[in-house]
This record gives sequence, structure tokens and C-alpha cells, in this order.
Amino acid sequence: MSIGHYRIVIVGELGPRYRSAFDGMDIHVAGGNTEITGAITDRSHLQGILDRIAALGLTLKSVNALDDAQPAR
Amino acid sequence: MKTDTPAGDVAEAPHLGVIESKLMLPRIQPGALKRARLLEMLGTNGGPALTVIDAPVGYGKTTLLRSWCVERNESVIWLTLDSADNDPVRIWTHLATGLGRIGDGLGDRTLGALRVPAGPMETAVDELMNSIAAYGRPLAIVLDDLHAVRDEASLGSIRYGIARLPANVRVLVSTRSDSAIGLPRQRARGALAEIRARDLAFTVQETHELMEREHIVLTRKSTELLTERTEGWPAACYLAALWLRDVENSDEGVRAFAGSTRQVGDYLSEEVLDGLSAETREFLVQTSAFQPFTPAMCDVILDRTDSSELLDDLARSNMFVVPLGAREEWYRYHHLFAELLQLELEPEDARVLHTRAAAWCRSQGLIGDTIEHAIAAEDHNMVAEMLAEHHLKMIWGGRPAQFLTWVRWLPSDVLLQHPLLAAAGAFAAALLAHPEVEVQRMLAIAERSRDEHPELWSPYTEAVVEVTRAAQIERGQVGSAVEHARRAVAAATEGADVLGVGVLASLAQALFYAGDLTGVRRVALKAVQRADAPSVPDGYVACLGLLGLVDAEEGRIESALAWARQGIRHAEAQFQGGLWTASMAHLALALALSASGSLGEAEREALRGERLRRVPQPGVGHAHTLLVLAQVRIARSRLAAAREDLERAHRIIADFPDPGRLPAIAATVEQELAAAHAHAGDIHLVEQPSAAELAVLRCLARGLSRREIGAELYISLNTVKTHIRDLYRKLGATSRENAIARAEALDLLEPSQSPG
Repeated sequence: MSIGHYRIVIVGELGPRYRSAFDGMDIHVAGGNTEITGAITDRSHLQGILDRIAALGLTLKSVNALDDAQPAR
Repeated sequence: MKTDTPAGDVAEAPHLGVIESKLMLPRIQPGALKRARLLEMLGTNGGPALTVIDAPVGYGKTTLLRSWCVERNESVIWLTLDSADNDPVRIWTHLATGLGRIGDGLGDRTLGALRVPAGPMETAVDELMNSIAAYGRPLAIVLDDLHAVRDEASLGSIRYGIARLPANVRVLVSTRSDSAIGLPRQRARGALAEIRARDLAFTVQETHELMEREHIVLTRKSTELLTERTEGWPAACYLAALWLRDVENSDEGVRAFAGSTRQVGDYLSEEVLDGLSAETREFLVQTSAFQPFTPAMCDVILDRTDSSELLDDLARSNMFVVPLGAREEWYRYHHLFAELLQLELEPEDARVLHTRAAAWCRSQGLIGDTIEHAIAAEDHNMVAEMLAEHHLKMIWGGRPAQFLTWVRWLPSDVLLQHPLLAAAGAFAAALLAHPEVEVQRMLAIAERSRDEHPELWSPYTEAVVEVTRAAQIERGQVGSAVEHARRAVAAATEGADVLGVGVLASLAQALFYAGDLTGVRRVALKAVQRADAPSVPDGYVACLGLLGLVDAEEGRIESALAWARQGIRHAEAQFQGGLWTASMAHLALALALSASGSLGEAEREALRGERLRRVPQPGVGHAHTLLVLAQVRIARSRLAAAREDLERAHRIIADFPDPGRLPAIAATVEQELAAAHAHAGDIHLVEQPSAAELAVLRCLARGLSRREIGAELYISLNTVKTHIRDLYRKLGATSRENAIARAEALDLLEPSQSPG
């Protein structure tokens, strides 16, 4: 059960070490930022990713639901 | 998360689950920059009641708070919060323990209040604030990593406390997000100081200072570049210092760094970690799995002998290794650093490390830590074993919520193999007044186990199941409760004597509501005469109260007083004063006092008893307290109030399928009320007293002498005497007491003027 796909953009390009923190998501580096894209199962899943980002001291740029997403409760 | 106090007996249980490392102040490391301008912002003496340092990870919040503590000479309670603190009891247990370290016994009343299962947190928080106020000297409370706490109950209790801080305490909080602890309110009152990321970020000057201290030579331009690229993020600057220390040409290094588009932390941590020897890196990565740790712990878990020197070295040269406390024992890593190291850990390796850590903690008698590590290692059997071994200590020792949380972690199929845990979990849930459905669910697992694995069943488990079922008496199933309590006693006799006091108390209570007073005496006496009774306060105090009640009902007033007072004394000593089992002692005292004519005191005691039984779902116990309260009020001629109590009791009893003797008691009270009304009907006013006479009457009710009445009302003594004479005539009274009683019955006195 998935509430849809999300794209999360953080500042700075992530190398292999940091990428391993987001296993299961697609990582794409572009223009000085890193895009983390993938299927989000529920609100807790999304929150977990955001917590990870905070724990690693990364700067969040944007969080966007992609076309097929249901709003996260 | 680790290091709770070694296992002792039940008497030490209040400290079960106190994790020492959470209370330890991180030691100042030599490499830390002293941030004078920020310390000035915090101010040393006085200052606002609440200071919040709110910034993302790696901004030096903890370091700042730590140096602030060093600057002051006063006492500090330091509490490092973590995700397991989404349990208010755990938070306040640690704060109370911390207070107890500052002044012997200061935290005792709070700890006592916290032991009351499902007790209101407000009581415990109030106790702590009172104790702090009583301490009187300046004190600071530091809450580090408040963002880890998200549970509303926990945050609510902190909010409650912050709104009631005594004048001699300051609270300083570090967090990564604006926690819901009432900041807007404190801000509005001007009682809040805030330090945020932009304040904490390094200036070029500070970056320069850091580099100088590390003997890194950089041009002014490089320093500016570095500060700009990192945006002054302190963690990045410290990482840069670690990196550049071992680099030939630091200016060039900084240029390359500035020109990269890599995320700052990623770039720098790679440089630093790659610059370590493989051995050091491995040590750091492995230990990050089970931090905080001691050198001894590392040696055992990693099969080394040199952890002490290694850690000492690392702590000296590396900001990210944080020594804790005054002695050279415990260490942890800076949060960001730990996150980075843990990225290198394979899940399987982490599991192995946690298993070893659990074994080590177990060997040290650190119960809570063992269980936490076993959970991280997903070792169901170890968790089950530990819970089985220590469940009594946890439940009787005031941590049933923690116990239940751990039991719930075990999957059903494991619980089927450990029916005792399912049964104890049901008991804990009932104790905590959790929803019925949860209690039933756990009992169902226990009983399924009995069917599928009879060889695992024991009289002990049987006793726990039956006493849990007996606890359902509150829902108005008196007959059934008696049955279950009897079975519990039988099972305990067969093979669980340690539960003796508890099951006997359960039976005594059930028999009381069933109306078998002889049975109550027999069973309750058996309980209180046991040598281990005083160490099971719940059951002991309940039985003492019941003995008092039975004596009071049967007219043995002296004896009733003795039992009741003994029960109340013991409850007070344990601060079980907030516990419902003390309710019966208060009721017994009320009835005895009423019979001996101390009507005012009797009503107060009855009210105490009633308040202790107030719960969201009023039960058998509460209905009974209302009936006793009504009886006591009738004796005082407070008939309107008594009528109300009786009505409330009726409403509660109406929903009960099997309310035992309660309807009979209610009928008796009904009769007494009718008789009192009839008697009051004889009381009539000969003439309505004047306003002046009523004023004198109210003073009489307050117990003032005639002279005092004259002074209060600015009238002469003679005038007072005249008024009193006229009052007696108009009320048809023969004495002061008589006059007051008649006035009450006629509702001439405001409720607040009822004699004390």
C-alpha cells in the first residue's frame, strides 16, 4: 500500500556514504542538489526520511508529492 | 540510553530504569571553543526562567550548555533526553533522581508520586516544583535534545512544569525543533530567551580561533572561504579542523572544498573518516552501535585490551568523542558523528554487537540496558528471559508502563511460549487502567498458551491471571470477582507464595463488596500478619483499610481507628497517599470519627477517600465511597449534599450487572436520609433571624468566641450576647452546637461556613 511517490530535494550533492542512508529510494544528483525520489508507504515512512535528513545535518530544500500521490496524513 | 542502576531487590525498585549516563554532564573537551558572546547571551546569574537553544544538529548546543554549567557555581540537574523518553514517568523519575543528588531526599516525594500507577503526572510535577522551591537555592535544569520527545503526555508534563517554575530555578533546553512546551506563553511573559542557528553559527573570527587552536595555518581568505562554504555550521568547522590537521597545504584543501558541490558534511566526513587508520575507523564504527559505553565494555565486546587508551586519545584530540560524567568511565559520540559512523555498519554486524552488549550489560546487572540492547538485536528470547526474571520488581517497583511497553514488543508467538509475561502484561495493563480490550487480549494469549502448552503453565501464572480477572470488579462484577480472587489465592498457596499479600488483598476487597464481613476479617488479617506485608504497600494498606471498615461498620470504633491510622501512616510513608488503596483507610477513619462525634473531621476524611477513587469510569469502589460520604454528611445534617452523593452512587450502581451489597448499603443510606429529613422537619424557624443576627450566626459557625465576634463585627460584647440570645430563641436552639446544627439543616449557612 503506497500513498504515492515523493521527491525530496536537499542542498548539496551526496556521495556514496550518505546515499546509503536512503536505501530503497532513487538518488539523483543535479545542479548542486540531490533529489531523493521514491514510493512512500505512509506518513511515518515520510517522517522517517525527514528525520534521517535532520539527523545527518542536511538542509531540506523541498518535499513534493508527485502526480499519483494521495495527500499524506 | 544505557547504564541503569544494578539490580537490587524490590526496595530499590524506584530507581529501576534510572539510566545514569542520561544524568551525566558531558565533559568539556580541550578542543572546544569557548563562545564568550553566547555565554553572555545566556547570562550567568538570574536570567529568564526558560532558555531555548533551537538549532539543527551540529551547532554546538550541548557544548554551549555544558560550558554555561561550568561558568556557574550553582547546582545543575542535567538530563539528556532520547526517544525512550516518550514516557513522562521516565523523564520525571530522572529529574527527581537528579534533584536527589543535589540534596539528600529532595526527590523522594516526587519519586513516590511517580510510583502510583496511572497517577496524574501533575501530582508528581507539583511535588518536584515544591521540593525545588523548598531547596531554595539557585538551581538550573538542563534538558538536552528535547526534540527527541514527541509524545503529547510527556510534552504536556514539561509544559505544566515550566508554567509553574519556582523563582529559584532556570530551565535551559536544547532542541532541533520548536517543541510544544508553551514557548509562546513564556515569550509573551518576557520569560523566554532564545538562541538560534544564526546566533550559534561561527563567525569568521571564531573559525579563525578554532584553526589557530588546532595549529592549522590558513590565510584570511581561506578562513573566510571556509566559513562561507560551511555557513558557519560548527560541526563542519570542527570536521574541517580534524581534516586539515593532517593536510600538507591547508589553503589548497580549503580551495578545493569550497569549489566542490558536494554536500558539506558528506565531503568533510569523508575526508576525516578516510584519514583515520583502518583500525581506528573500525573501532569507532563498531562502538557507535552500542554507545554510550565504558572502556571495559568495549574491551569485552570487541575482544580488545586497549579501549581505555584509545578512547582517552580520541577524546583528547577529537571533538566528536564525548566523555561523560566526572570519572573516566562513560563515553558517547556526538550525534552527527554517530549517525555517520552507523552508516558504515552492516545490519548483521550491528545485531551481533547488540547481542554482545546485552550480554555484557546483563553481567553488570543493568536490567534496562540489557533489554534495550536485546531488543535492538531482535533477540526475543533474551528479552523474554529478562522480563520473566524481573517482572515483579518492575510492576511492584512502580514501572508497570515500562514493563508493558517491553512485553508488547514481543510477538504473540513468543508470548505463547511465555504465558507468565502475557499474564503479567494483562495485570500491568489493568493496573494502568488501560482499555479493557487490551487486558482481554493479553489474557487471551495467556489462556491460549495454557491450552496449547500446558507444560509451560504454572500456579504462579494462574494466580496472576486470576487476580487480573478479579480486578475487573470495578466494572460491577462482584460475585465473579470473588470467584476469581479465590482461585488466585488457591494458586498462590499452591506455588506462588510471593504473591500472597496481593492475592489476599484482592480477595478481601471482593468479599467486602459481596458483604461477607467475617470473610473479610479472616482474609485481611492473614495478609497483614505476614512478614512480607509491609513491603507490598498496595495490598497491605488495602487490607488495613478493610479491617478498619469492618470494625467501623460493626461498631468497634477504637479498633477501627487503630487500623485506619496504621493504614494511612503506611501509605504516607510510601507516598502511596495518592493510591486508591488508601481510600478505604480514609473511609474507615471517617466512619469511626463520625461515630465518635467529630463530624467535621469525618467529612474531610470521607472526601479524601472519595477523591482517591475518582476515575474516568466510576466503579464499585467509587460508588461505595460516595455512600460512605453520604452517611457522614447525614450525621452532620448536610442533607442536600448527602442527597447528591446518593444520587451519584445510584447512577453508577444502576449500570452494574452484579453490584454485591452496594444496593443494600444504598437502601440504608436512603432510610437514614429520610429519617433525617423527618427530624429536620421538626426543625422550623420560630422567626427569621435579622441580617445582624445572621452575621453573628456565621461567626459562631466559624468557632469565634463572643469577644472575637464583637471585634470582627464592630459591635459591643453586650450586643453580641443579645443577638445570640435572640438567635437561640428564633432557631429553637438550646446551645451553640445545637444552633449551628439547626442553622445548617435550615440552609442558613453558606457551605463555606460549615464548621471546620
